[in-house]
Amino acid sequence: MRFRAKIVDLACLNHFSRIINTIAKLAKTCILRLTVCKLYFILSDKVANGGASMWCELSQGNFFDEFQMEGVAAEHNEIYLEFVPENLWRALKTAQNAKAVKIKLTNKHCPCLRVAVELPSLSSSSRIVTHDIPVGVIPRRMWNDFREPSVPDFDVSIYLPVLKTMKSVVERMKNLSNFIVIEANLSGEMNLKIETDLVSVTTHFKDLGNPPWASEDGCQSSAQGRDLESMAEACIDIKKLLQLLAGQQVNPTKALCNIVRKRIVHFILLHEEVSLQYFIPAVA
Amino acid sequence: MFPLGLFWRKCSATFLSFYFHLECILQCFFSLAVFGRAIHAIARISDEFWFDPLEKGLALRSVNSSRSAYACVFFSSMFFQHYCCTAVSQPCQKEKQLSLPCKLIIKSVLPVFRCVNVLERNVEKCSISSSPSEHHITFQLLCRHGVVKTYNLTFQECDPLQAVFAKHMCPNILKVHSRLLADVMIHFPTSQEEITLSVTPMKVCFKSYTEEDTDFSRTMLTEIQLNPEEFDYFQVGVDSEVTFCLKELRGLLAFSEATSVPVSIHFDRCGRPIAFSIEDLLLEASFILATLCEAEKEAASPEPNSYLYKCCIFQFHSLFFGAVSYKEAIGDTFQSLVTASDTEEELGALQSSPVL
Repeated sequence: MRFRAKIVDLACLNHFSRIINTIAKLAKTCILRLTVCKLYFILSDKVANGGASMWCELSQGNFFDEFQMEGVAAEHNEIYLEFVPENLWRALKTAQNAKAVKIKLTNKHCPCLRVAVELPSLSSSSRIVTHDIPVGVIPRRMWNDFREPSVPDFDVSIYLPVLKTMKSVVERMKNLSNFIVIEANLSGEMNLKIETDLVSVTTHFKDLGNPPWASEDGCQSSAQGRDLESMAEACIDIKKLLQLLAGQQVNPTKALCNIVRKRIVHFILLHEEVSLQYFIPAVA
Repeated sequence: MFPLGLFWRKCSATFLSFYFHLECILQCFFSLAVFGRAIHAIARISDEFWFDPLEKGLALRSVNSSRSAYACVFFSSMFFQHYCCTAVSQPCQKEKQLSLPCKLIIKSVLPVFRCVNVLERNVEKCSISSSPSEHHITFQLLCRHGVVKTYNLTFQECDPLQAVFAKHMCPNILKVHSRLLADVMIHFPTSQEEITLSVTPMKVCFKSYTEEDTDFSRTMLTEIQLNPEEFDYFQVGVDSEVTFCLKELRGLLAFSEATSVPVSIHFDRCGRPIAFSIEDLLLEASFILATLCEAEKEAASPEPNSYLYKCCIFQFHSLFFGAVSYKEAIGDTFQSLVTASDTEEELGALQSSPVL
């Protein structure tokens, strides 16, 4: 098993560290899956435990100037590592003006991702900062636990409003309640609601638009058969939602959510070549 | 956690019958910010500190409860727009005492200088005074628009402790701009408690300290290597590896960045204290921190050998750096900070000699 990668371009480095920052805000520990052309950050908290899941996918070619990896075997050319994204974010946040950042899988005291940052210095030679981030190597028999989640058979799919606006609304609602109801319909309307004994607050969003989903198994047609005005609602943990909204470092080019009535809310954020999916289960 | 391993002296003075009058005014915005940051740096050491007005200037001292860290910041009288410290002895008292050190709770002083950046903008003048009859020190901030904030803080009369540490006996001296040190420290997580500094004549390395029972599968390790060329002055007499607390150093760095004075680091082998000091015409500060003593390492190098080793290295070192004179440049401008004992001189000549 070998892995070695290098980022030289500053814009790529900053973009990459922003993504890591987003992930660090969503997951305490997560799985990094490496393939020849892609990196995946996976969080698969079991829905039964009330947790949320995340699937973030990016092409290595958009970030790395060098990227070499060799999996356990030729036919399974992948690496699965468990690590704390906060550690990687810490290593990258102090590398904002680095000349180069190298990431390498090593095994000194324990398996580590070694992040070597080459910083400009006052002398002729660069200053080298190395961080050894401990990782756990996930054995192949457990890889199946980290498969890409399928898009659920949703009742409503809708584009989200500007995330900053949504964040400031949810932030205020968080002070009043622990749960939030997201409801939307197929005519571009979405409401964010909280209800407590003392107060009910609803924020209405209009003209958001509903993304067209190519129908394979009649998913779209079944949606068409439904009443366009009827709301599909799900009540979710407000902290989980705020985590997602507050963690966004760049406004994604496309943000949408799929609601399965009373079961799950599925968020998809797209930014250039990066996609982030986040699943928040509904509470009963 | 680990004791400083220093001698301590108590400045003896009788306070019972003696009057004291202190008046100092800080005006320049820059000075006020520097003074405020000094208080913040001192706050990292302990909950209380000594406010020690002397004839030549004002000293702030602090020792932590386990006596593993000592800090002293001395502001010369020139630092203040006006400084006057007079002691009036009572008729019955023959000897005239100059100092009345008093112990203040850091929590009561911090609010005065809470937000240093705001102070710079709003405060036009700060006066610190104490008068004999009232048993308190007064901090008065004269702000814009005629707002005056007065803080009367009671104090406790108490002898200050001083660490006796002969800096000039240290074989290893590094002098570096505080900016660079701060740039190094930001790579360590705020939760990092101790770091290890290891030096050889060829390289300097700061790394996270790990205890023997550290679980490597959970701890992120960070290491920063520096080239000796990055230092303003670089003298390594003994290869050494010292481990010390980061918290206090961070305080000093925030303070020294405000003054933009280089930081000198004096240290020996592990187990001996390490001193971080800054010095310019108007102020001096030194923070002395205990370093972790690893018993095994000590046992491995018996005294006679290490002495020999030291001699050899010293010779090597003087070849390496050209002229190294141990001429004692006696710091006559200010009283020395770390100790009042006569072992303390500044190696002025040595420190100013450039590398290469």
